Amino acid sequence: MNDRVLELERLIPAPPERLFAYWTEPDLLVKWFGPEGFDIPSHRLDVRPGGRWSTTMRAPDGKLRTVSGIYNTVDPPRRLVFTWGWDDDSGVRGHETEVTVTFEPTPGGTRLKLVQQVFQGKEVRDLHNGGWAGSFNKLQRVAASS
Amino acid sequence: MRSASPDRLDAMFAALADPTRRSIMERLAARGELSVGDIAEPFRISAPAISRHLQVLERAGLIERRTERQWRLVRMRREALKPVESWLTRQHRHWSDALDRLEALAAADTPKRRKS
Repeated sequence: MNDRVLELERLIPAPPERLFAYWTEPDLLVKWFGPEGFDIPSHRLDVRPGGRWSTTMRAPDGKLRTVSGIYNTVDPPRRLVFTWGWDDDSGVRGHETEVTVTFEPTPGGTRLKLVQQVFQGKEVRDLHNGGWAGSFNKLQRVAASS
Repeated sequence: MRSASPDRLDAMFAALADPTRRSIMERLAARGELSVGDIAEPFRISAPAISRHLQVLERAGLIERRTERQWRLVRMRREALKPVESWLTRQHRHWSDALDRLEALAAADTPKRRKS
């Protein structure tokens, strides 16, 4: 298991075409794209290879955070690849990672896989600073309290 | 948020003291959600044994199970452990929350097909 890569997988009872639309049509994307309790007051999606995207999210406490990037691959309804970078508090865009989303048809719907890489050494070290032993590190990532 | 009682913590640590159960949790943490078949696959132990391990993890509040059409699915309960917040943890939470919402929305606007 590689600590510099984030991988998630879901089996979703909806066809790949429908799910792909949720990733690429702004009206659909704003309904789900963010942590629980956040909304998206502004966004821009230019969904084509080389096109820019950005979304600004509002946390429950009112704080705004912007994440943005460029689409590298747009292959409906199978594959979407884009870069990803958060702005820091002074509005400077931070370390860039790349997100690959694949939509694989299954008998009951779609197997959606999301891979985000490559995290910096600093981010990975942050993860280990909790003092947990090896086995528990991966546990922590999804153990975020709500 | 409810804080975990000492009994609950004991159950959690006892559940995680076993290497097979730790390995199951690591895979769930890395993959999000898995079918019972996917979970059993790498282990050379019987289906009832896997089922018992899942029961221990469920009683400790570490996993939750659901049935979706033909799949019996297992996922980690994200609220089960309070993490040390890190950039990567927050990034993971971003996707896991978002994909939960995507799943609910997309499933709701897809007509259910009946098995013939």
